[in-house]
Amino acid sequence: MQSPSAPGPQVDLKIVYDAIVVGSGAAGGMAAHVLTSQGMKVLLLEAGKQLDTTKELKSMEWPYDHPRRGEMPPGYHPLGLNEYNIRNPPYAKDSKYPHVESYVQGWNGPDYSKNIVVDEKDHPYTGTKYAWVRARCVGGKTNIWGRLALRLSDYDFKAKSRDGYGEDWPISYADIAPYYDKVDQYLGVSGHKENLPYLPDSLFQRPNKLTASELKLRTELAKMGRVVTPYRAGVTTDGLKHNKYRSKCFGRGACDRRVGGCDIHAAFDSPTGLIRPAMDTGNLTLRPNSTVYEVTVDPNTGKARGVNFIDTESGKTYEARARVVILGASTLESARLMMLSKSSQHPNGIGNSSNHVGHNFCEHIMGPGINGLVKDLVGKPRTLDDGRPGSFYLARFRNLSDKQSNFIRGYGFEGSSGTTMIPGNAFETLGFGSSYKKAVRDYAGAYISMGAFGEVLPRYENGVSIDGNVKDKWGVPVLKFNYTFGDNEKKMAADMAVTAREMFEASGIEVVSVNREILTEGWSIHELGTARMGNDPKTSVLNQFQQSHDVPNLLVVDGSSHVNASCQNPTWTIMALCWRSSDHIADELRKGNV
Amino acid sequence: MEGTSRRDLLRIAAGVVAAVPAVAQQAAETATAPAPLFFTPVEFQMVDELTEIIIPADAHSPGARAAKVATYLDKSLAEAFEAEPRQKFREGLKLVDKLSGELHKKTFLDSTPKQRVAVVAQMARNEKKPKKPEEQFFVQLKASTAFAYYTSSIGIHQEMEYKGNTMQNEYAGFDAGLVPIQLPDSPK
Repeated sequence: MQSPSAPGPQVDLKIVYDAIVVGSGAAGGMAAHVLTSQGMKVLLLEAGKQLDTTKELKSMEWPYDHPRRGEMPPGYHPLGLNEYNIRNPPYAKDSKYPHVESYVQGWNGPDYSKNIVVDEKDHPYTGTKYAWVRARCVGGKTNIWGRLALRLSDYDFKAKSRDGYGEDWPISYADIAPYYDKVDQYLGVSGHKENLPYLPDSLFQRPNKLTASELKLRTELAKMGRVVTPYRAGVTTDGLKHNKYRSKCFGRGACDRRVGGCDIHAAFDSPTGLIRPAMDTGNLTLRPNSTVYEVTVDPNTGKARGVNFIDTESGKTYEARARVVILGASTLESARLMMLSKSSQHPNGIGNSSNHVGHNFCEHIMGPGINGLVKDLVGKPRTLDDGRPGSFYLARFRNLSDKQSNFIRGYGFEGSSGTTMIPGNAFETLGFGSSYKKAVRDYAGAYISMGAFGEVLPRYENGVSIDGNVKDKWGVPVLKFNYTFGDNEKKMAADMAVTAREMFEASGIEVVSVNREILTEGWSIHELGTARMGNDPKTSVLNQFQQSHDVPNLLVVDGSSHVNASCQNPTWTIMALCWRSSDHIADELRKGNV
Repeated sequence: MEGTSRRDLLRIAAGVVAAVPAVAQQAAETATAPAPLFFTPVEFQMVDELTEIIIPADAHSPGARAAKVATYLDKSLAEAFEAEPRQKFREGLKLVDKLSGELHKKTFLDSTPKQRVAVVAQMARNEKKPKKPEEQFFVQLKASTAFAYYTSSIGIHQEMEYKGNTMQNEYAGFDAGLVPIQLPDSPK
């Protein structure tokens, strides 16, 4: 494999590129890939740095070979749940720690990802409580994502037609299915075919396997009409002949430790999956450390002319120009950028004549979950259970053929079981001495747990706006949150805890603990919907090809375009939609229509 | 992404034992009998003994002493960004001696092995809901000990017999296809 850090062509700000892409994560990376593969000259601007991934990612390093067993150096502080719950943002304000990072840095092995996520001190935000996790570097959050790669279905795209709430998407499953196929084949996805209409299968590579406890859960839940399937991982398990930067998965077992990502790039990340191959076309120019703060406008036509950006190292500002501007800065950052881009033609922010930018913000609600014990496995010889890129997924079962009386939409569960490198039960088992030690040893492989991800309904009043009073380290006004879970989410969350117990009990799994508490807004890291697509320019921001209704040469290709959150993880849909839109805009560019 | 209690607990444990400077570690490795960086020699001995009582050597594997848990805690505390963890730990050790005096009229280290275990047992009485300062210290000490032990080479390889972190061509476990899913009333 080759290093993904090699430089691209020199940045020339005098030329007019075919397209400027803002952001290099799943969305921006995909736009860069599709357009450059069709001969378009693309300038990719990334706000964060270009990391030397060979230094950051050490998937095979043993905890005891790290001076702090994977912990961050002194002075780095990960925000804890309590801090999010008892305080309001900006969370790092007046902190005694030199570096404050989001809660994900409290997980195993945070020292490996401390340069990937942002320092909250440099990137404040205000308003209501929100656990906002951001990664500013080439590849963004794809460097450390959870890798659950799911498709949405017409249960999501046409949800309004089913239950009357919100809006339907301007596309149906048939429109996006061929692009899901392309993403599957280009990037690789592991899974087991189930033929579920509400969780369509991908073109799967070699599936993960299930542990004995997971197989038991699958067996018993099938009788209830519910489906436990091996984790559908955005990981190439058979390899990709067309990509020399990525190896197939060798089941090394470091996935749960998240030691800064996957150092052989079997797990999809944008730098090796999309950007480096795009550079090999000779058509891509990547400029890291380039924070775009404004989409510039041609005063004669009102169309996008390019972008203004600040070099985060020198502090100098520049304009880059292109025929098309494509935003993939993340759901909230793209909305921020649009609202910041005010001009006489677009006094409300570019692409915001509908007043819907920043609104209809939605995501997944988390918290309720369960931990159980499979007694048959206590004291059994050690098995290797964490060589897999993920454990299991329990597909949505609510409001499909049934109709719940007190909430609409649904939720799925992500779960895990079996042995891990560091036994989690060591921190829960009571007592001390040889009986404690033996209990940890005997029970370590016998636990199974799962936590729910539920659809948060998009509501107009839930959103973000620009806070003119607070600026980030580079002087750019920050986002102010006005976002809380509603009644539907809270009732759904109560149901999650009930069904979790019901399913474990039905499967003969002893219930150790049930969690009913809802985690702070934002915990799922699945922000969506702040510039939604739609057919009506009065109630939506983008058309079905993620083109601004107001400004046809402006596209927004990240999660902000999603009309609802579904309960299924968004990354694969972000990439499939972006591929479709990029194909479309490439065609329009060739025809001279933009 | 998940935010399970297990991870939170690991975090709590890790937060207590907040780190080691690489330079300090090198120095420690090259010296034959390195002096503790933060603990006094007596405190170090106490921590060594307390952690071994929490996770002792048994027929299955060596314990916290062999895994150098006290050395790890010493380095972590020495390097900790805040003074508070250091103070709290030192106060905790004083509580151990105080409790030992009350129970056996001797310091912890002057007590017999049985008496020392009795002191720890007293501290561990309300582990689920610790109230007294020595009970709170036990919970903290145990979490740090567990973290340092189960991330050590002895903890991972000998005690837990962990088989992963190695290349394998096929995943272990069971094929989901063993249980085909047939949903007769699958919605349209």
